Amino acid sequence: MFRISRAGLAERWTLFAGAALSVCLGVALVQSSLLLIISAATLDPPPGLPAAERLRFAENADASVAMLGVLLGTATFLAVFIISSTFGFTVAQRRRDLALLRLVGGSRGQLRRLLLGEAVLLGGAGAALGVPAGLGVMAVQSWLMRTMGFVPDGFRGQWRTWILGVSLGTGIVLAVAGVLLAARRASRVRPLEALRDSGEAARVMTAGRWVVGLIFLAGTIAMVIVAPHGGPAGGQAISLNVPMCAAAAVAAFGPLLVPAVARLVPTGAGGPLGMLARANLRDGRRRSASVAAPVIVLVGLVLGQAGAAMSFTTAGIEEQHRALTADLVVESTGPIGSKVTAVPGVASASTEIQLPARIAYGAGESAETENGDALAVDPAAYAAAHPGSETLRNLTGRAIMVGPGGDIPSEGTVRVELPETTLGDLRVAGAVPATLAGGATVLVPAGLVPPDQLTSAPSRAFVRLAPGVPAAEVAAALSHVGQVSDVDAWLTADAEARASTNNKIMVVVLGLGALYALIGTVNSVVIGAAARRREFAEARVTGLSRRQVVRAALAESTAVTVAGVILGFVAAGAAYVAVLGTTSAVTGAGTLQVPWGLAGAVVAAILVVTGTTSVVTSWSATRERPVVLLGARE
Amino acid sequence: MTTTTAATATAVSLRGVTKVYGKGAAAVRAVDAVDLDLPRGGWTAVMGPSGSGKSTLLHLAAGLEHADAGRVLIGGTDITDAGDRELTDLRRTRIGFVFQSFNLIGSLTAEQNVALPLRLGGRRPSRSEVREVLASVGLGDRVKHRPREMSGGQQQRVALARAIVTRPEVLFADEPTGALDSAAARTVLDLLRAMADAGQSIVMVTHDPGAAARADAVVFLRDGRVVDHLTGADAPSKHPTATQNGLKADTIADRLAAWER
Repeated sequence: MFRISRAGLAERWTLFAGAALSVCLGVALVQSSLLLIISAATLDPPPGLPAAERLRFAENADASVAMLGVLLGTATFLAVFIISSTFGFTVAQRRRDLALLRLVGGSRGQLRRLLLGEAVLLGGAGAALGVPAGLGVMAVQSWLMRTMGFVPDGFRGQWRTWILGVSLGTGIVLAVAGVLLAARRASRVRPLEALRDSGEAARVMTAGRWVVGLIFLAGTIAMVIVAPHGGPAGGQAISLNVPMCAAAAVAAFGPLLVPAVARLVPTGAGGPLGMLARANLRDGRRRSASVAAPVIVLVGLVLGQAGAAMSFTTAGIEEQHRALTADLVVESTGPIGSKVTAVPGVASASTEIQLPARIAYGAGESAETENGDALAVDPAAYAAAHPGSETLRNLTGRAIMVGPGGDIPSEGTVRVELPETTLGDLRVAGAVPATLAGGATVLVPAGLVPPDQLTSAPSRAFVRLAPGVPAAEVAAALSHVGQVSDVDAWLTADAEARASTNNKIMVVVLGLGALYALIGTVNSVVIGAAARRREFAEARVTGLSRRQVVRAALAESTAVTVAGVILGFVAAGAAYVAVLGTTSAVTGAGTLQVPWGLAGAVVAAILVVTGTTSVVTSWSATRERPVVLLGARE
Repeated sequence: MTTTTAATATAVSLRGVTKVYGKGAAAVRAVDAVDLDLPRGGWTAVMGPSGSGKSTLLHLAAGLEHADAGRVLIGGTDITDAGDRELTDLRRTRIGFVFQSFNLIGSLTAEQNVALPLRLGGRRPSRSEVREVLASVGLGDRVKHRPREMSGGQQQRVALARAIVTRPEVLFADEPTGALDSAAARTVLDLLRAMADAGQSIVMVTHDPGAAARADAVVFLRDGRVVDHLTGADAPSKHPTATQNGLKADTIADRLAAWER
C-alpha cells in the first residue's frame, strides 16, 4: 500500500504539491503566531525603566498579546479551512484511480488507509517545510509589529524547541482531519466507476457538507443575535468572529451556491464559448466549489473584519461626540484645572489626568489584576462634561467609579497601584456607561491621588465657554496653559489616530492570512486544471482552437471567482448585521462603514491572480496534441 | 436453439437475473430475466447489438452491479446479496477483469501493476512469480516499463497478466480487443485461447465476430434477453475455414446480422 502511495505521489505531483504547500503555509502561519504570542506574554521590560513606563510597558504587552491572540485564531481558522478544503479536493479528483484499486481487489479499509497514509506523509512533509517557513513568517510579522509600534524595538519572536512537535502535529492532524470525511466517502466509490469517464461523483452536496454547513449557519445566526447583547467589548469581539463562521457556512454550501450564482455572471465570452463555460460550471460543481471556497473566506474575512473594525471606530467617534458637552480641549501636563478655570470666558472645565495603573480585585482564587489607566478627575466637573455619567456626582470618600473602558466589577473594593505608590483599597461606587471607544479603567477623584503623582502626567481639560464669549479669544488665552483645539477637530484627530491603529492591526492580522487564502485559491485552480487535460483535448478535437479552450476556461474560472466574491460579500454582510446590531445597542444609532476601497483592491487582486493562474494552467494543459491525450488512457 | 448443458461444473450461473435502469416510463430493462450457465473451463463469448445489455450482463455476473431480481452464482457461491467485504474478497481471489480501456495504474510499472491484486490481498509475491506471469503474456522484457511507455497491445497484455495473477476461477473480459489493432488483437486472442485450453474459464463480451469465433461458445443477446446460442457442435464439421474449435466467424457474423435486423 505504501508503495502505491509513494508512486502516486510522484505521478500526480501537482495535486500533492498543492496539498503539501497548503500545509506548509498553514503550519508556518500558526507556528509564527504561537511563538509571537509566547514571546510577547513573557516579554520583560528593559531594566532601568522608570516605574510609570514600566506600567505602560505592561499595558502595551497585554494589548499585543490580545492582538496576537486574534492573529493566532485567524491563522488557525485559515489553516484548518484551507488545508481541509485542499485535501478534500485532491481526494475527490482521484475518484477514478481509487475505483480502479477497488476493481482489482482493494477493500474499503485499504483505500481509507491509503488516503490517510498519504495525508500523514503530506502533512508531515508540509509541516517539515512549514517549520523553517514559519521562522520567515515570524521575522516578517515581528518586523511589522515593531515598525507599527505595537512592540518595543528590541522585540523578537523567540524559538522554542517544543514548537517542532506542535508544528509537526498541527500539520499531520490538520491533513488527516482534512481527508477523514473525504476518505470515508471515497472508499465507498463503486468499482464500476473506474470504467466510466466521469471523474466526479454524482452527488456533491453530501450529508457531511449539509451538517457542517448547517452547524456554521446556526453559529452565524446565533452570533448575530447575541452580539448586540454582549456589551461594547463582547459585541465587538463577537462581530469580528462572525465573518469566519459565516464564510465557513457559505463555503460548505458551495456546490449548491457557487454554480447558481456563477451562472448569473456574464462570462464575457458570448456564443459557443460562453455556453461551454456555463455548461462546465454546472458540470464541475465540485471543482467550482473548491476554487470558490478560499475566495469566499478571503473576501468574507478581510472585508468582514475590516468593515467591522472601521464601523466600530466610526461609531466610537459619534458616541464620544454625543457624550461630550465641551467647546474646547486643552492638552497639557499635570493638574491644570485651576489655571483653566481662571481664564475669563471659561464657564466650566473637566480636567482629567491620565495615570498608568494596575488594578487588583477579588480575593484568593479569583484574584485578578488588570493593567490600564486610572483617570484622576473632579467628579462633579466630569459628570457635567460627560452626559450619562451623572452618578459620579454622588462619589464621596475613598471611593472610585469604573471607567468607560473598565472591565472590572462595579461593586466591592479594588486596589489601585500607581507607578510609585499605591492608593490602597478603594470602594467601587458604580460604573459610568461602557463605550465602544473604551477609555480609562477607573475614575479616581483627584483628591485621592498624591499631588506629586499628578504633576508630570498627561492631562486634558474639556472646556465649556460662557455664553456669548468668542471661542477664539478664550482659546488664545488658554494657549498659555497647553495645546488648545476645537472639540470637533480634536475628536477627528483622535479618530484618525485610532483608525490608523486599526488599519495597522488589520495589516498584521489579515495581511499574511489573506496572502495564504490567495495562495489557496491558486492551488485550487491548479489542482482543478490538472485533471482536465482529457476534457480540454476533447474540446479541441470537437473543433476548438487552443486559444478558444483557454478562453473558455478563463471565462469559467472568472465566473467562479466572481461567484466566490459575491458569496464572500454575503459572509461579510452577516458581520455587518452584527455590527449594526451592536452599535445601535451600545450607542443608540446603528453605524456601518463598508471599506469600499479595500474591497475594490481585494477583488481586483483576486481576479488578476485567478485569471492568470487559469490561463497559465490551461495553456500548459493543452500543450500536448489532443490526439496523443485521447489515445492513451493512462 | 440448444439447451444449456446441465450445470455439474458451471463457472457462472444466472437465474432469472433482471436489471432495470431508470424509473417509470423511462425505465429500461437492460437485462431481462436471463437464465444462463457458463461452463467451467470454457470460453464463452457474449454478443449482441449495441444496447443489448451485454456489458450489464457481464457486470452483473462479476458482481460489479447488483441485480434487481434473480440470483447470480459464481462457482456455486451465491453472490446476489453479498456485501462489500465478500465482493472485495471475490475480486481479489476468484475473478479477474480485462477491459477495453486497459485501466492500468499509470504511476506503477508493469511489474507493480501485475503484483497489485496479490499485494492488496495481503500477499508479498516473489519477483520471479510476477515475472513469470508477465513472461507468459510475452512481456518478460517489459517489467520495468510504465503503461504510457507501452503500446496498446502491450498494455492490454499487462492487464491480462494482472487479471490472471491471482489464478481466478473466472476471467471476465469486456471488449478486450476493442481498442487494439488487428495484430495486437490477434496476440491477445491467442493468449486467451491458450488460457482457455489450459482450463481457464473466460467470459468475454465482444461485438467482433472474429474475436467471438475464437471462443468455445457464443451467446447472443438482444433487448436484454438471450436469443441464441452457438457452440462448436453447431458448426459444419471439418469445414475448411473453421477454427480449431469449430466456430466460424462468418456464421457468427450472419447470426449477429440477423439479430441486428
